[in-house]
Amino acid sequence: MSGIEEMERIDVDRVRSYPPRTSEFTQPFWEALAAGRLQTTRCAACGALSFPPKPVCPHCWHGEVRWTPLQPLGRLYSWTRVHAGPEMFAAELPYEVGIVDLDAGLRLALRLVAVPGREFAPDMPVRLVVLRFRDGPLLAAMLR
Amino acid sequence: MRRAAILGTAAVPVRKYQRKASEPIQTVEHEMIARLVVEAMQDAQVEKSEVNAIVCAHPRPYTKQKYFSTFMAHYLRLPCSGVVMETMGNGMTAALAFDKACDEILLGRAEVALAFGVNMEMSVTSAEHMKDSVRATGDVDFHSPSGLIPISWYAMDAVRYMHEYGATRAQLASVAVKNRAHAALNPLAQYRAPITLDEVLAQRPIVEPLGLYEVPPRGDGAACLVIVSEARAKASGLPYVLVRGRGFFHEGAHQISEVPNDMIRFVAAETAGRLAYEAAGIGPGDLDLAELYAPCTIVEVLAGEALGLAPRGQGAAAAAAGETRLGGRIPISTSGGLTSRGHPSYATPLYGMVELAEQLRGRAGARQVEDAELGLSSNELGNYNAALVHVLEARR
Ligand SMILES: [Zn+2]
Repeated sequence: MSGIEEMERIDVDRVRSYPPRTSEFTQPFWEALAAGRLQTTRCAACGALSFPPKPVCPHCWHGEVRWTPLQPLGRLYSWTRVHAGPEMFAAELPYEVGIVDLDAGLRLALRLVAVPGREFAPDMPVRLVVLRFRDGPLLAAMLR
Repeated sequence: MRRAAILGTAAVPVRKYQRKASEPIQTVEHEMIARLVVEAMQDAQVEKSEVNAIVCAHPRPYTKQKYFSTFMAHYLRLPCSGVVMETMGNGMTAALAFDKACDEILLGRAEVALAFGVNMEMSVTSAEHMKDSVRATGDVDFHSPSGLIPISWYAMDAVRYMHEYGATRAQLASVAVKNRAHAALNPLAQYRAPITLDEVLAQRPIVEPLGLYEVPPRGDGAACLVIVSEARAKASGLPYVLVRGRGFFHEGAHQISEVPNDMIRFVAAETAGRLAYEAAGIGPGDLDLAELYAPCTIVEVLAGEALGLAPRGQGAAAAAAGETRLGGRIPISTSGGLTSRGHPSYATPLYGMVELAEQLRGRAGARQVEDAELGLSSNELGNYNAALVHVLEARR
Protein backbone atom coordinates (compact mmCIF):
# COMPACT_ATOMS: atom_id res chain seq x y z
CA MET A 1 0.00 0.00 0.00
CA SER A 2 1.39 3.39 -0.91
CA GLY A 3 1.95 6.20 1.53
CA ILE A 4 2.51 3.98 4.55
CA GLU A 5 5.80 4.76 6.25
CA GLU A 6 8.18 2.12 7.44
CA MET A 7 9.11 2.42 11.10
CA GLU A 8 12.62 3.15 12.29
CA ARG A 9 14.21 0.08 13.89
CA ILE A 10 16.32 0.71 16.97
CA ASP A 11 18.61 -2.07 18.16
CA VAL A 12 18.55 -2.84 21.90
CA ASP A 13 21.34 -5.11 23.08
CA ARG A 14 19.43 -7.23 25.56
CA VAL A 15 16.34 -9.42 25.75
CA ARG A 16 12.84 -8.12 26.47
CA SER A 17 12.09 -7.86 30.21
CA TYR A 18 8.60 -9.34 29.86
CA PRO A 19 8.34 -10.96 26.43
CA PRO A 20 4.93 -11.16 24.78
CA ARG A 21 3.55 -14.45 23.53
CA THR A 22 2.96 -15.06 19.85
CA SER A 23 -0.09 -17.03 18.79
CA GLU A 24 -0.71 -18.46 15.36
CA PHE A 25 -3.13 -15.61 14.89
CA THR A 26 -0.84 -12.76 16.08
CA GLN A 27 2.24 -14.13 14.33
CA PRO A 28 1.72 -11.88 11.26
CA PHE A 29 1.66 -8.83 13.57
CA TRP A 30 4.99 -9.70 15.22
CA GLU A 31 6.65 -10.70 11.92
CA ALA A 32 5.59 -7.45 10.27
CA LEU A 33 6.71 -5.49 13.32
CA ALA A 34 10.16 -7.08 13.14
CA ALA A 35 10.32 -5.90 9.52
CA GLY A 36 9.33 -2.33 10.50
CA ARG A 37 5.70 -2.49 9.43
CA LEU A 38 2.72 -1.83 11.66
CA GLN A 39 -0.44 -3.75 10.86
CA THR A 40 -3.59 -4.80 12.64
CA THR A 41 -6.95 -6.39 11.88
CA ARG A 42 -9.89 -4.72 10.18
CA CYS A 43 -13.38 -6.21 10.26
CA ALA A 44 -14.51 -7.58 6.91
CA ALA A 45 -18.12 -6.65 7.73
CA CYS A 46 -18.19 -3.30 9.52
CA GLY A 47 -14.71 -2.07 8.66
CA ALA A 48 -13.69 -1.24 12.24
CA LEU A 49 -10.02 -1.50 13.18
CA SER A 50 -8.93 -3.42 16.27
CA PHE A 51 -5.89 -3.13 18.46
CA PRO A 52 -4.47 -5.46 19.59
CA PRO A 53 -5.32 -7.53 16.49
CA LYS A 54 -8.25 -9.86 17.18
CA PRO A 55 -9.66 -12.87 15.32
CA VAL A 56 -13.21 -11.53 15.77
CA CYS A 57 -14.45 -7.98 15.44
CA PRO A 58 -15.07 -6.64 18.97
CA HIS A 59 -17.63 -4.16 17.63
CA CYS A 60 -19.99 -6.35 15.55
CA TRP A 61 -18.61 -9.80 16.49
CA HIS A 62 -18.17 -10.73 12.83
CA GLY A 63 -15.73 -13.61 12.54
CA GLU A 64 -13.82 -12.53 9.44
CA VAL A 65 -11.04 -9.96 9.72
CA ARG A 66 -8.25 -8.81 7.39
CA TRP A 67 -4.74 -7.59 8.10
CA THR A 68 -4.37 -3.94 7.21
CA PRO A 69 -1.30 -1.69 7.36
CA LEU A 70 -1.34 1.35 9.64
CA GLN A 71 0.43 4.66 9.28
CA PRO A 72 2.75 4.74 12.33
CA LEU A 73 1.95 8.36 13.17
CA GLY A 74 -0.14 9.92 15.88
CA ARG A 75 -0.27 12.12 18.95
CA LEU A 76 0.63 11.53 22.56
CA TYR A 77 -2.58 11.47 24.62
CA SER A 78 -0.76 11.08 27.92
CA TRP A 79 2.42 9.67 29.43
CA THR A 80 4.27 8.95 32.66
CA ARG A 81 7.77 8.14 33.86
CA VAL A 82 7.85 5.00 35.99
CA HIS A 83 10.37 5.10 38.87
CA ALA A 84 9.25 2.03 40.83
CA GLY A 85 8.53 -1.06 38.79
CA PRO A 86 8.29 -4.80 38.91
CA GLU A 87 11.40 -6.89 39.42
CA MET A 88 11.80 -7.81 35.77
CA PHE A 89 11.95 -4.12 34.74
CA ALA A 90 14.32 -3.07 37.56
CA ALA A 91 17.33 -2.64 35.24
CA GLU A 92 15.36 -0.27 32.99
CA LEU A 93 14.12 2.16 35.68
CA PRO A 94 13.20 4.89 35.25
CA TYR A 95 11.40 4.45 31.93
CA GLU A 96 8.57 6.21 30.11
CA VAL A 97 5.26 4.79 28.89
CA GLY A 98 2.49 6.57 27.08
CA ILE A 99 -0.86 6.45 25.34
CA VAL A 100 -0.83 7.30 21.64
CA ASP A 101 -3.78 8.14 19.42
CA LEU A 102 -2.90 7.02 15.90
CA ASP A 103 -4.07 9.15 12.99
CA ALA A 104 -6.00 6.04 11.87
CA GLY A 105 -8.25 6.42 14.93
CA LEU A 106 -6.81 3.77 17.24
CA ARG A 107 -5.51 4.25 20.77
CA LEU A 108 -2.43 2.32 21.90
CA ALA A 109 -0.44 2.14 25.12
CA LEU A 110 3.28 1.53 24.71
CA ARG A 111 6.86 2.27 25.73
CA LEU A 112 8.22 5.72 24.88
CA VAL A 113 11.73 6.38 23.66
CA ALA A 114 13.12 9.62 25.07
CA VAL A 115 14.84 12.18 22.85
CA PRO A 116 17.59 13.97 24.83
CA GLY A 117 16.62 17.53 25.70
CA ARG A 118 12.95 17.12 24.83
CA GLU A 119 10.31 16.37 27.49
CA PHE A 120 7.07 14.61 26.66
CA ALA A 121 3.76 16.48 26.86
CA PRO A 122 0.19 15.62 25.88
CA ASP A 123 -0.84 16.27 22.27
CA MET A 124 2.75 16.21 20.95
CA PRO A 125 3.08 14.51 17.55
CA VAL A 126 4.80 11.13 17.73
CA ARG A 127 5.95 8.42 15.36
CA LEU A 128 6.02 4.76 16.21
CA VAL A 129 9.31 2.88 16.15
CA VAL A 130 10.39 -0.72 16.58
CA LEU A 131 12.69 -1.63 19.44
CA ARG A 132 14.71 -4.58 18.12
CA PHE A 133 15.71 -6.61 21.18
CA ARG A 134 17.89 -9.70 20.91
CA ASP A 135 14.85 -11.94 21.33
CA GLY A 136 12.30 -10.03 19.28
CA PRO A 137 10.60 -6.69 18.63
CA LEU A 138 8.50 -4.31 20.74
CA LEU A 139 6.48 -1.34 19.54
CA ALA A 140 7.38 2.07 20.99
CA ALA A 141 6.84 5.76 20.23
CA MET A 142 9.14 8.79 19.85
CA LEU A 143 8.47 12.50 19.59
CA ARG A 144 8.47 13.73 16.00
CA MET B 1 -39.54 -5.08 48.31
CA ARG B 2 -36.74 -6.61 50.38
CA ARG B 3 -33.83 -4.37 51.27
CA ALA B 4 -30.45 -5.13 52.84
CA ALA B 5 -28.83 -3.40 55.78
CA ILE B 6 -25.50 -3.39 57.61
CA LEU B 7 -26.08 -4.26 61.27
CA GLY B 8 -22.60 -5.18 62.52
CA THR B 9 -18.99 -4.44 61.61
CA ALA B 10 -15.49 -5.34 62.74
CA ALA B 11 -12.03 -4.68 61.31
CA VAL B 12 -8.41 -4.78 62.40
CA PRO B 13 -6.22 -1.67 62.01
CA VAL B 14 -4.48 -1.69 58.63
CA ARG B 15 -0.77 -2.47 59.05
CA LYS B 16 1.78 -5.19 58.46
CA TYR B 17 0.58 -8.50 59.91
CA GLN B 18 2.06 -11.06 57.58
CA ARG B 19 5.48 -12.35 58.58
CA LYS B 20 8.28 -13.78 56.50
CA ALA B 21 8.00 -17.55 56.06
CA SER B 22 11.29 -17.92 57.92
CA GLU B 23 9.91 -16.45 61.16
CA PRO B 24 9.00 -18.98 63.86
CA ILE B 25 5.62 -17.42 64.66
CA GLN B 26 3.22 -16.70 61.79
CA THR B 27 0.00 -14.71 61.40
CA VAL B 28 -2.80 -17.06 60.38
CA GLU B 29 -5.63 -15.50 58.39
CA HIS B 30 -8.47 -17.76 59.51
CA GLU B 31 -7.79 -17.02 63.18
CA MET B 32 -8.03 -13.32 62.41
CA ILE B 33 -11.29 -13.71 60.46
CA ALA B 34 -12.85 -15.97 63.11
CA ARG B 35 -12.26 -13.30 65.76
CA LEU B 36 -13.68 -10.58 63.50
CA VAL B 37 -16.80 -12.62 62.67
CA VAL B 38 -17.54 -13.06 66.37
CA GLU B 39 -16.86 -9.38 67.04
CA ALA B 40 -19.12 -8.23 64.16
CA MET B 41 -21.87 -10.63 65.27
CA GLN B 42 -21.69 -9.24 68.80
CA ASP B 43 -21.91 -5.74 67.33
CA ALA B 44 -25.06 -6.80 65.44
CA GLN B 45 -26.44 -8.80 68.38
CA VAL B 46 -27.30 -11.59 65.97
CA GLU B 47 -27.31 -15.32 66.83
CA LYS B 48 -25.01 -17.66 64.97
CA SER B 49 -27.99 -19.83 63.94
CA GLU B 50 -29.46 -16.90 61.97
CA VAL B 51 -26.53 -16.71 59.53
CA ASN B 52 -27.33 -18.41 56.26
CA ALA B 53 -24.75 -17.14 53.73
CA ILE B 54 -21.03 -16.39 53.55
CA VAL B 55 -19.49 -14.24 50.83
CA CYS B 56 -15.78 -13.83 51.17
CA ALA B 57 -13.32 -11.71 49.20
CA HIS B 58 -10.81 -14.00 47.52
CA PRO B 59 -7.53 -13.71 49.46
CA ARG B 60 -4.14 -12.91 47.93
CA PRO B 61 -2.11 -15.86 46.59
CA TYR B 62 0.19 -15.29 49.60
CA THR B 63 -2.53 -16.67 51.90
CA LYS B 64 -1.66 -20.31 52.38
CA GLN B 65 -5.15 -21.65 53.08
CA LYS B 66 -7.05 -22.20 49.83
CA TYR B 67 -10.82 -22.25 49.23
CA PHE B 68 -11.07 -19.78 52.05
CA SER B 69 -14.87 -19.40 52.18
CA THR B 70 -15.63 -23.10 52.49
CA PHE B 71 -12.75 -23.46 54.91
CA MET B 72 -14.26 -20.72 57.09
CA ALA B 73 -17.68 -22.42 56.96
CA HIS B 74 -15.89 -25.38 58.51
CA TYR B 75 -13.70 -23.39 60.91
CA LEU B 76 -16.79 -21.64 62.32
CA ARG B 77 -19.13 -24.66 62.00
CA LEU B 78 -21.57 -22.64 59.91
CA PRO B 79 -24.02 -24.63 57.77
CA CYS B 80 -25.71 -22.42 55.13
CA SER B 81 -28.48 -22.88 52.57
CA GLY B 82 -27.64 -19.51 51.04
CA VAL B 83 -24.38 -19.20 49.17
CA VAL B 84 -20.85 -19.92 50.43
CA MET B 85 -18.44 -18.39 47.94
CA GLU B 86 -15.52 -16.10 47.16
CA THR B 87 -15.54 -13.05 44.92
CA MET B 88 -12.77 -11.76 42.66
CA GLY B 89 -12.60 -8.58 40.61
CA ASN B 90 -9.29 -6.77 41.08
CA GLY B 91 -9.74 -3.73 43.33
CA MET B 92 -13.47 -4.36 43.40
CA THR B 93 -13.06 -7.82 44.93
CA ALA B 94 -14.29 -7.00 48.44
CA ALA B 95 -17.01 -4.67 47.15
CA LEU B 96 -18.39 -7.64 45.21
CA ALA B 97 -18.35 -9.65 48.46
CA PHE B 98 -20.53 -6.97 50.04
CA ASP B 99 -22.76 -6.76 46.97
CA LYS B 100 -23.28 -10.51 46.65
CA ALA B 101 -24.01 -10.84 50.38
CA CYS B 102 -26.69 -8.16 49.92
CA ASP B 103 -28.04 -10.17 46.96
CA GLU B 104 -28.56 -13.20 49.22
CA ILE B 105 -30.71 -11.00 51.43
CA LEU B 106 -32.59 -9.50 48.46
CA LEU B 107 -33.25 -12.96 47.02
CA GLY B 108 -34.65 -14.10 50.34
CA ARG B 109 -32.09 -16.86 50.72
CA ALA B 110 -30.83 -15.43 53.97
CA GLU B 111 -31.98 -13.07 56.71
CA VAL B 112 -28.36 -12.72 57.83
CA ALA B 113 -25.28 -12.96 55.59
CA LEU B 114 -21.62 -12.45 56.35
CA ALA B 115 -19.31 -10.49 54.04
CA PHE B 116 -15.66 -10.63 54.98
CA GLY B 117 -12.21 -10.39 53.52
CA VAL B 118 -8.60 -10.68 54.50
CA ASN B 119 -5.65 -9.30 52.54
CA MET B 120 -2.17 -10.47 53.47
CA GLU B 121 0.76 -9.49 51.27
CA MET B 122 3.38 -7.76 53.41
CA SER B 123 5.81 -10.67 53.50
CA VAL B 124 6.31 -10.07 49.78
CA THR B 125 8.40 -7.14 48.46
CA SER B 126 6.76 -4.53 46.20
CA ALA B 127 8.97 -5.44 43.24
CA GLU B 128 8.06 -9.11 43.67
CA HIS B 129 4.37 -8.31 44.16
CA MET B 130 4.27 -6.13 41.04
CA LYS B 131 5.53 -9.05 38.96
CA ASP B 132 2.07 -10.46 39.40
CA SER B 133 0.07 -7.23 39.27
CA VAL B 134 1.35 -6.26 35.78
CA ARG B 135 -0.67 -9.24 34.61
CA ALA B 136 -3.86 -7.76 36.04
CA THR B 137 -4.01 -4.27 34.60
CA GLY B 138 -3.31 -4.60 30.92
CA ASP B 139 -3.05 -7.03 28.01
CA VAL B 140 -0.24 -9.39 29.03
CA ASP B 141 1.07 -9.56 25.47
CA PHE B 142 0.45 -6.02 24.23
CA HIS B 143 0.69 -3.85 27.39
CA SER B 144 2.68 -5.58 30.11
CA PRO B 145 5.85 -6.01 27.96
CA SER B 146 6.19 -2.22 27.75
CA GLY B 147 6.37 -1.91 31.55
CA LEU B 148 2.90 -0.51 32.22
CA ILE B 149 2.04 -1.07 35.86
CA PRO B 150 -1.33 -0.61 37.62
CA ILE B 151 -0.66 2.92 38.88
CA SER B 152 0.96 4.07 35.64
CA TRP B 153 -2.56 4.36 34.20
CA TYR B 154 -3.62 6.67 37.02
CA ALA B 155 -0.47 8.74 36.52
CA MET B 156 -1.44 9.18 32.88
CA ASP B 157 -4.88 10.28 34.04
CA ALA B 158 -3.15 12.93 36.16
CA VAL B 159 -0.99 14.19 33.28
CA ARG B 160 -4.00 14.47 31.01
CA TYR B 161 -6.14 16.12 33.70
CA MET B 162 -3.51 18.76 34.43
CA HIS B 163 -3.10 19.34 30.69
CA GLU B 164 -6.81 19.75 29.98
CA TYR B 165 -7.95 21.68 33.02
CA GLY B 166 -4.83 23.46 34.22
CA ALA B 167 -5.04 21.71 37.58
CA THR B 168 -1.81 22.04 39.54
CA ARG B 169 0.45 19.53 41.27
CA ALA B 170 -0.32 21.23 44.58
CA GLN B 171 -4.07 20.88 44.05
CA LEU B 172 -3.74 17.13 43.46
CA ALA B 173 -1.33 16.76 46.39
CA SER B 174 -3.81 18.49 48.69
CA VAL B 175 -5.93 15.32 48.49
CA ALA B 176 -3.16 13.38 50.23
CA VAL B 177 -2.82 16.05 52.95
CA LYS B 178 -6.56 15.97 53.55
CA ASN B 179 -6.68 12.18 53.71
CA ARG B 180 -3.83 12.11 56.23
CA ALA B 181 -5.65 14.60 58.42
CA HIS B 182 -8.69 12.30 58.35
CA ALA B 183 -6.56 9.23 59.08
CA ALA B 184 -5.09 10.97 62.12
CA LEU B 185 -8.57 10.63 63.63
CA ASN B 186 -9.14 7.01 62.59
CA PRO B 187 -7.80 4.23 64.85
CA LEU B 188 -8.05 1.75 61.92
CA ALA B 189 -5.72 3.85 59.75
CA GLN B 190 -2.21 2.77 58.78
CA TYR B 191 -0.57 6.22 58.47
CA ARG B 192 -1.75 8.75 61.04
CA ALA B 193 1.01 11.33 61.49
CA PRO B 194 -0.11 14.59 59.85
CA ILE B 195 1.74 15.70 56.70
CA THR B 196 2.07 19.06 54.96
CA LEU B 197 1.59 19.97 51.33
CA ASP B 198 5.32 20.68 51.02
CA GLU B 199 6.10 17.21 52.35
CA VAL B 200 3.78 15.57 49.82
CA LEU B 201 5.32 17.55 46.97
CA ALA B 202 8.86 16.73 48.15
CA GLN B 203 8.39 12.94 48.03
CA ARG B 204 10.38 10.94 45.49
CA PRO B 205 8.49 10.37 42.23
CA ILE B 206 6.88 6.95 41.77
CA VAL B 207 4.91 7.43 38.55
CA GLU B 208 5.28 11.04 37.44
CA PRO B 209 3.75 13.38 38.37
CA LEU B 210 2.71 11.34 41.43
CA GLY B 211 5.10 10.90 44.33
CA LEU B 212 5.23 8.45 47.21
CA TYR B 213 2.41 9.98 49.25
CA GLU B 214 0.03 10.12 46.28
CA VAL B 215 0.12 6.44 45.44
CA PRO B 216 -1.28 3.65 47.60
CA PRO B 217 0.81 2.27 50.43
CA ARG B 218 0.73 -1.50 50.83
CA GLY B 219 -0.74 -3.13 53.90
CA ASP B 220 -2.44 -6.11 55.47
CA GLY B 221 -5.98 -6.00 56.82
CA ALA B 222 -9.21 -7.85 57.45
CA ALA B 223 -12.82 -6.82 57.96
CA CYS B 224 -16.24 -8.41 58.44
CA LEU B 225 -19.74 -7.05 57.90
CA VAL B 226 -23.02 -8.55 59.11
CA ILE B 227 -25.64 -7.93 56.43
CA VAL B 228 -29.29 -8.46 57.35
CA SER B 229 -32.74 -7.92 55.91
CA GLU B 230 -34.36 -4.57 56.64
CA ALA B 231 -36.98 -6.34 58.76
CA ARG B 232 -34.31 -8.09 60.83
CA ALA B 233 -32.45 -4.77 61.22
CA LYS B 234 -35.60 -3.02 62.41
CA ALA B 235 -36.37 -5.82 64.86
CA SER B 236 -32.91 -5.45 66.41
CA GLY B 237 -33.73 -2.05 67.87
CA LEU B 238 -30.15 -1.02 67.04
CA PRO B 239 -29.01 1.78 64.76
CA TYR B 240 -28.36 0.29 61.30
CA VAL B 241 -27.36 1.28 57.82
CA LEU B 242 -29.81 0.68 54.98
CA VAL B 243 -28.55 -0.02 51.46
CA ARG B 244 -30.83 2.43 49.72
CA GLY B 245 -29.42 2.38 46.21
CA ARG B 246 -26.93 0.44 44.13
CA GLY B 247 -25.46 0.78 40.67
CA PHE B 248 -22.89 -1.08 38.63
CA PHE B 249 -21.38 -0.37 35.25
CA HIS B 250 -18.54 -1.89 33.24
CA GLU B 251 -17.73 0.21 30.22
CA GLY B 252 -16.67 -2.78 28.11
CA ALA B 253 -13.04 -1.69 28.12
CA HIS B 254 -10.16 -2.67 30.39
CA GLN B 255 -7.51 -0.04 31.22
CA ILE B 256 -7.72 1.50 27.76
CA SER B 257 -10.31 1.89 25.01
CA GLU B 258 -8.78 1.22 21.59
CA VAL B 259 -11.38 3.68 20.28
CA PRO B 260 -10.03 7.04 21.49
CA ASN B 261 -12.27 8.43 24.22
CA ASP B 262 -12.18 10.97 27.02
CA MET B 263 -10.19 8.73 29.38
CA ILE B 264 -10.47 11.04 32.39
CA ARG B 265 -14.23 11.13 32.29
CA PHE B 266 -14.87 8.05 34.41
CA VAL B 267 -17.94 6.84 32.51
CA ALA B 268 -18.34 3.73 34.68
CA ALA B 269 -18.49 5.81 37.87
CA GLU B 270 -20.80 8.29 36.19
CA THR B 271 -23.21 5.56 35.05
CA ALA B 272 -23.08 3.38 38.19
CA GLY B 273 -23.50 6.56 40.25
CA ARG B 274 -26.55 7.63 38.27
CA LEU B 275 -28.11 4.18 38.67
CA ALA B 276 -27.45 4.22 42.42
CA TYR B 277 -28.81 7.77 42.84
CA GLU B 278 -31.94 6.85 40.85
CA ALA B 279 -32.50 3.72 42.92
CA ALA B 280 -32.11 5.74 46.11
CA GLY B 281 -34.24 8.60 44.81
CA ILE B 282 -31.56 11.15 45.68
CA GLY B 283 -28.95 13.28 43.96
CA PRO B 284 -25.29 13.88 44.80
CA GLY B 285 -26.23 17.10 46.57
CA ASP B 286 -28.14 15.09 49.19
CA LEU B 287 -25.06 13.18 50.37
CA ASP B 288 -23.39 13.93 53.69
CA LEU B 289 -20.18 12.05 52.93
CA ALA B 290 -18.53 9.65 50.45
CA GLU B 291 -15.92 6.90 50.70
CA LEU B 292 -14.21 6.56 47.35
CA TYR B 293 -11.91 3.74 46.30
CA ALA B 294 -9.07 5.94 45.10
CA PRO B 295 -5.59 4.41 45.04
CA CYS B 296 -4.04 7.72 43.92
CA THR B 297 -4.92 11.37 44.61
CA ILE B 298 -5.99 11.91 41.00
CA VAL B 299 -8.45 9.01 41.20
CA GLU B 300 -10.32 10.62 44.10
CA VAL B 301 -10.60 13.80 42.04
CA LEU B 302 -11.84 12.10 38.87
CA ALA B 303 -14.21 9.70 40.65
CA GLY B 304 -15.59 12.60 42.67
CA GLU B 305 -16.29 14.53 39.49
CA ALA B 306 -17.90 11.52 37.79
CA LEU B 307 -20.15 10.98 40.81
CA GLY B 308 -21.28 14.60 40.74
CA LEU B 309 -19.46 15.64 43.93
CA ALA B 310 -17.65 18.41 42.02
CA PRO B 311 -18.09 19.92 38.56
CA ARG B 312 -15.90 18.49 35.81
CA GLY B 313 -12.39 19.86 35.85
CA GLN B 314 -12.88 21.46 39.26
CA GLY B 315 -12.40 18.47 41.57
CA ALA B 316 -8.74 19.20 42.31
CA ALA B 317 -9.45 22.86 43.01
CA ALA B 318 -12.37 21.84 45.25
CA ALA B 319 -10.08 19.54 47.24
CA ALA B 320 -7.46 22.27 47.58
CA ALA B 321 -10.17 24.67 48.79
CA GLY B 322 -11.09 22.26 51.59
CA GLU B 323 -14.50 21.30 50.21
CA THR B 324 -13.81 17.58 50.68
CA ARG B 325 -12.38 17.84 54.20
CA LEU B 326 -14.25 17.03 57.38
CA GLY B 327 -16.39 20.11 57.95
CA GLY B 328 -16.28 20.93 54.23
CA ARG B 329 -19.10 20.89 51.69
CA ILE B 330 -18.85 17.14 51.03
CA PRO B 331 -16.33 15.21 53.16
CA ILE B 332 -14.64 12.53 51.06
CA SER B 333 -12.88 9.51 52.57
CA THR B 334 -13.18 10.43 56.24
CA SER B 335 -11.38 7.14 56.94
CA GLY B 336 -8.20 8.57 55.46
CA GLY B 337 -8.79 6.89 52.11
CA LEU B 338 -6.50 4.42 50.42
CA THR B 339 -3.50 6.76 50.66
CA SER B 340 -3.57 7.00 54.50
CA ARG B 341 -6.19 4.68 56.01
CA GLY B 342 -4.34 2.12 53.91
CA HIS B 343 -4.95 -0.24 51.03
CA PRO B 344 -5.04 -3.93 51.91
CA SER B 345 -6.34 -4.34 48.40
CA TYR B 346 -8.66 -7.33 48.54
CA ALA B 347 -10.22 -6.04 51.78
CA THR B 348 -10.13 -2.29 51.02
CA PRO B 349 -13.78 -1.84 49.93
CA LEU B 350 -14.95 -3.47 53.18
CA TYR B 351 -12.96 -0.87 55.11
CA GLY B 352 -14.84 1.80 53.16
CA MET B 353 -18.13 0.17 54.21
CA VAL B 354 -16.95 -0.04 57.83
CA GLU B 355 -16.19 3.70 57.78
CA LEU B 356 -19.61 4.56 56.34
CA ALA B 357 -21.29 2.28 58.87
CA GLU B 358 -19.42 4.00 61.71
CA GLN B 359 -20.36 7.44 60.42
CA LEU B 360 -24.01 6.58 59.73
CA ARG B 361 -24.41 5.01 63.19
CA GLY B 362 -22.85 8.08 64.82
CA ARG B 363 -19.84 6.15 66.11
CA ALA B 364 -17.00 7.89 64.25
CA GLY B 365 -15.75 9.84 67.26
CA ALA B 366 -13.49 12.81 66.47
CA ARG B 367 -14.06 12.40 62.73
CA GLN B 368 -17.86 12.18 62.96
CA VAL B 369 -19.70 14.01 60.19
CA GLU B 370 -22.44 15.82 62.07
CA ASP B 371 -25.93 14.37 61.54
CA ALA B 372 -24.70 12.11 58.75
CA GLU B 373 -27.77 10.63 57.05
CA LEU B 374 -26.65 9.62 53.55
CA GLY B 375 -23.30 8.20 52.51
CA LEU B 376 -21.92 6.95 49.21
CA SER B 377 -19.47 4.14 48.54
CA SER B 378 -17.76 3.79 45.16
CA ASN B 379 -15.41 0.98 44.23
CA GLU B 380 -13.67 0.24 40.97
CA LEU B 381 -11.34 -1.91 38.92
CA GLY B 382 -8.82 -1.15 36.19
CA ASN B 383 -8.65 2.55 35.42
CA TYR B 384 -12.18 2.95 36.83
CA ASN B 385 -13.38 0.87 33.85
CA ALA B 386 -16.00 -0.65 36.14
CA ALA B 387 -17.63 0.92 39.16
CA LEU B 388 -19.85 -0.44 41.91
CA VAL B 389 -21.67 2.29 43.81
CA HIS B 390 -23.85 2.02 46.90
CA VAL B 391 -25.94 4.71 48.61
CA LEU B 392 -26.27 4.03 52.33
CA GLU B 393 -28.72 5.59 54.73
CA ALA B 394 -28.62 6.00 58.52
CA ARG B 395 -31.55 4.41 60.39
CA ARG B 396 -31.70 5.02 64.11
ZN1 LIG C 1 -17.16 -5.50 12.77
